[in-house]
Amino acid sequence: MHRADYVIKRGFFALVTIFVAITINFFLFRVLPGSAVTDLSRVPHATPALRHALTVEFGLDKPKWEQYILYLRNLLHGNMGISFAYQQPVSHLLIADLKNTIPMVTVGTFASIVVGVVSGVLSARRRGSVPDHISTNIAIFAYAFPTQWLGLMLLILFAGILPAGGMENQFLLTPEPFLQHLGDIATHMILPAATLMLTAYGSFTLVVRSSMLETMGEDYVLTARAKGLSDRRIVWQHAVRNALLPMVTLIALSLGYIVGGALLIEVIFSWPGIGLGMYTAIGQRDYPMLQGGFLILTISVILLNFAADLVYFRLDPRITE
Amino acid sequence: MNRMRARHALSVVGAVAALALLTSACSGSGGRAIAQGGVLRIGTSYPIDSLNPFVGQSDYTYMTFEYIYPALVQYNQQLQIVPEFARSWTESPDGLTWTFHTQPGARWSDGKPLTAADAAWTINTEKKFDTGATASAAGGLAYVTGAAASGPNTLLVHYSKPVANVLSNFQSLYILPEHIWARYATGNGSAMKTFANPAPVVSGGPFELTKYVPNQIALFSRNPHWWGPKPHIDGFGLQFFSNDDAMISAFEQGQLDFMGEYTPPTVVTKLRQKGFVVTTAPSLSFKDFIVNTNPRKTTHRELLNPLVREALEYATDREQIIKTAWLGFASPGSTIVSPADQGWHDLNIKPLPFNLAKANQLLNQAGYKMGPNGIRIADGHPMSYNVIFPPDERGAGDRTFAILQTDWRKIGIAITQENLDDAAATAAITAPNNKYLTFDMAMWDWVPPVDPDFILSVLTCGQYGGWSDSGYCAQAYDKMYAEQSTLTNAAQRRSLVARMQQYAYNARPYLVLDYPDVIEAHTKQWTGFVPSPVMGSVNSLSVQTLLQVHRV
Repeated sequence: MHRADYVIKRGFFALVTIFVAITINFFLFRVLPGSAVTDLSRVPHATPALRHALTVEFGLDKPKWEQYILYLRNLLHGNMGISFAYQQPVSHLLIADLKNTIPMVTVGTFASIVVGVVSGVLSARRRGSVPDHISTNIAIFAYAFPTQWLGLMLLILFAGILPAGGMENQFLLTPEPFLQHLGDIATHMILPAATLMLTAYGSFTLVVRSSMLETMGEDYVLTARAKGLSDRRIVWQHAVRNALLPMVTLIALSLGYIVGGALLIEVIFSWPGIGLGMYTAIGQRDYPMLQGGFLILTISVILLNFAADLVYFRLDPRITE
Repeated sequence: MNRMRARHALSVVGAVAALALLTSACSGSGGRAIAQGGVLRIGTSYPIDSLNPFVGQSDYTYMTFEYIYPALVQYNQQLQIVPEFARSWTESPDGLTWTFHTQPGARWSDGKPLTAADAAWTINTEKKFDTGATASAAGGLAYVTGAAASGPNTLLVHYSKPVANVLSNFQSLYILPEHIWARYATGNGSAMKTFANPAPVVSGGPFELTKYVPNQIALFSRNPHWWGPKPHIDGFGLQFFSNDDAMISAFEQGQLDFMGEYTPPTVVTKLRQKGFVVTTAPSLSFKDFIVNTNPRKTTHRELLNPLVREALEYATDREQIIKTAWLGFASPGSTIVSPADQGWHDLNIKPLPFNLAKANQLLNQAGYKMGPNGIRIADGHPMSYNVIFPPDERGAGDRTFAILQTDWRKIGIAITQENLDDAAATAAITAPNNKYLTFDMAMWDWVPPVDPDFILSVLTCGQYGGWSDSGYCAQAYDKMYAEQSTLTNAAQRRSLVARMQQYAYNARPYLVLDYPDVIEAHTKQWTGFVPSPVMGSVNSLSVQTLLQVHRV
């Protein structure tokens, strides 16, 4: 019963948060000056009738509350609306964008976890040593630097060496072989994924290091040493497995923010994902596209938080007591 | 020279130029065989904003239309009008009817016939909705009463009065395929405004747009039904970058072959050192500091005092701006018609010299005393203003602003940069409801077409809610504007255009800061680029460059 109560309670909070996010999404962009109609009707000699016709066409003539109800009703039917700018369903555009964002974010996040864990463990093992200081300081710097700054530095540093923009060679009039295409995407992904890795790995390093130091002082580690187990075996088979427990929740919590951080990375490297799509939509005051994009981002953060809650509960049943 | 002889001379020049164009497109220098094939990879940080000709406004949007849609005429390298879809033309003695003889046997990229009827339909439809969906094209059809195709290859355009710039207007009128667009030209025509015109776009120019992913790529391949000289390349692509740094890095890395008009001046030396070909040339564009001159302005009305705007110009160090902000790749600004627009720019108008003492004297004369913190007081409030600053002005504009801010502080005027995106900047300038009542200052730029009609029009009262970004409105100026487009005597029109430049310069809704050069770069593996003062060689004036460009 405890478990069910906990899940229901957390699920309810997640739903409420999603509803609040949906509402904020709707009103947030409408307080920005200008609108899609402003851009389309900003032509000389245009009559007020044109402005009105476009306003009606985009449904912006209705009172805000009516637009809001319509927006909620459409969402319940899975309809995110039609993009003002591209006249295509927002869901189609966002799915296409997500297909580009997810591989880059996945690679970058995975790399940050691997690098974060390895450097954290090594730092803990050599606590107080020069390598520990170097590793910890680099991690703190990487964690502290703004994403866009790191991205631009990599861009300048690798100018002329690695692809700097886009996701693939887009100038092909005929498609290239699959493996060659895959290689092309992988090369284009190096800089954005590396930026994401650098911005995310620092926190993982610091948490793993701290957790490892705590774990290494536990009695069972002492017992293992007394039993004559090798240092390598103690660290990687016993201590690391326990030290990684807080990492699980940290990763789940971080993922949402990483997706948000990918927005800046996509803009810097012209990576055609959901971040770049939203950045462009802001300039175009493409409300449906903005609402859809932010909705996906906020829901992903909320669901990942919910998942973190559940994982945490699974790992530490004392939480409900 | 009377009007008819002038037009005839233009036609002869046009025909000769077209012949030269055709010849040069078919053979290389010295008769060497020209390399065929390949895709020219172009990078830009200014994306296509719409594929709908009644919505799109960016430079590369117009360039796209130039290459996928036929126009009756185009410009040659000397900025003379030469034939395109119209192979020849005549003007009736009363100047009220123009007859264009169009290319026989032309087809759209989907194989459907491309005839004079498409041109007539486009003109009539744009006239029909000229206060609504197609209003953006209305300026080029002033005084047109209708168009008709008297045969598949003969287009008649009727006017209510003779018009001076008929041909230049038709250079930027893109002929649309009636069989695609007619279904949207119904009711109030708003569907013409919201039609996305997605790729693949049925095209009538030398290239067809085969793939378009917003903010990523526009890919063009040869139009198999193009009637003119065949391009040497298989196609070209525009890759859009969200910032210049990424674009330059991609260019250096070999991902691109060409960077167009917006190559930053800061990379010129570096790119030349690395063996790229970087060309610079004067352009028609200008950077302007805008002062709200709407007589009904409700706040900071001291800006309506001509002495204040004159003082601002005296406190503007154009030489320093060119040296520091543009690294020398610009020339000092004066009038709203660039010196590169030869024959139209009034050389007699000279910018005021940089003179802070004179600026202070003018402000003292106007009665605005210096406040305790070094900021002058006007009508009880400090002379401190927000300057609306859109993203287009970043880079050199930031450096320009810093220079202005420092110098103007010395005359007791404080300015603060207010960064806004395009939509917000437009909303702030035109607020409230296109009345231009509240904003004070802004920085922006213009890239006008060759004929001065458009750039002169942006200061007319009729542009409120349209292209006006200064709130300027003067009946005397409007009267001159209306008159200039009907002066078919070239000398008279030039004289009036010069008077309008002087009038606008004296009124100073714009302090024209500078005329930036066109800077573009390409690799040594390509040649055949035809320079132009609008957008550089890949532009919206003609289809020359991409017909001629080829691998070395």
